[in-house]
Amino acid sequence: MRHSVILSLQILVAAVIFGDILCAQTSPAPSHDLTGVWMLRNPAPIRAFSGATFTKEEPEMTPWAQAKYKEAKPSNGGKFTLDTTNDPVLTRCDPPGLPRVYFHPYPFEFVSTPKYTLMLYEYDHVVRRIYTDGRSIPQDPDPSWMGYSVGHWDGDTFVVESAGFNDKTWLDRLGHPHSTQLRVIERFRRTDSDHLQIEFNMQDPKALVKPWTATFSAELRPKWELGEISCSGDYLDFSKFEK
Amino acid sequence: MKTSGQVLAILTVVAALAIVSVPVFAHHGTAAFDTTKMVKVTGTVTDFEFVNPHVQIYLECKNEKGEPDKWQGELTAPNKLIRAGWDKHTLKPGDSITISGYASATGAHVMWIRELIGPSGEKLPLFEE
Repeated sequence: MRHSVILSLQILVAAVIFGDILCAQTSPAPSHDLTGVWMLRNPAPIRAFSGATFTKEEPEMTPWAQAKYKEAKPSNGGKFTLDTTNDPVLTRCDPPGLPRVYFHPYPFEFVSTPKYTLMLYEYDHVVRRIYTDGRSIPQDPDPSWMGYSVGHWDGDTFVVESAGFNDKTWLDRLGHPHSTQLRVIERFRRTDSDHLQIEFNMQDPKALVKPWTATFSAELRPKWELGEISCSGDYLDFSKFEK
Repeated sequence: MKTSGQVLAILTVVAALAIVSVPVFAHHGTAAFDTTKMVKVTGTVTDFEFVNPHVQIYLECKNEKGEPDKWQGELTAPNKLIRAGWDKHTLKPGDSITISGYASATGAHVMWIRELIGPSGEKLPLFEE
């Protein structure tokens, strides 16, 4: 009798422990650490458009930007083929730039060092260096594809501000334009150990009447490693695939 | 003066040449495919290119009339297939496979592969997650 009670207790304890293990599907996010490989995984309601642009509604564009947008002939997310598109990424292998890089369906990785955080994007082996040593963005930064980025922690959120862009890239895959006055603020917050929320705020007085904002989600991929992707002749010389 | 039989023979040859020489346009990009039309082809791999931007498979097969035909199938990027378990040796010339996918919008013998039955008769994973 006594043995069977002990046995029952043991089973009960085991069940409770086992139950805890089964239920332990999420854990708190590490503090001030985004290290790892992440893949964008937006919630179902926004997936219909979030592979190509930030919001279902059009951003409020200036007349200058509206005119430029009319010239865009997008392929990914648009109706043009490789023969007819004027997408600079597809026709010239231009780097996607920030923030368009998030519309390439490939993972990205954070690497933290004491004075800067690196963001590595599998497409197209793009690297961003986000300075965390307290410096500011230069007053008049030189133009670049991914911008000049500085970051700091605001509570549990890594806030990254970027400026100093050229005007050769699109903001998204649909061809929304921007000027060299573009500023991008990204707010990265781990909602738990495996999930990352990214808030975008794009400001450009020449192109946008008011800031364009959106929130995307990413998931940690602990077993993934970034591979090599190089936009090159493989991309531009499509005739080599015609056999 | 050619007989009608000779004219017919010449036309047949011209038609055959036209079929053979139609270029197989490798339009990657989803706009190039008719996502409402699925096609399925069983054939023998003649070439397998594990390259960016999209992995390509070339097949020899027989059409409905039993005549030799060629098809090209397009997959996703090598990095994504690597994460799904592939490598450059996953397929090789001579393998018998079946590919199903969206047909080219132009009617070219190119498809965007959505399902692939490998040489062992098993479905091969095409997605990294």
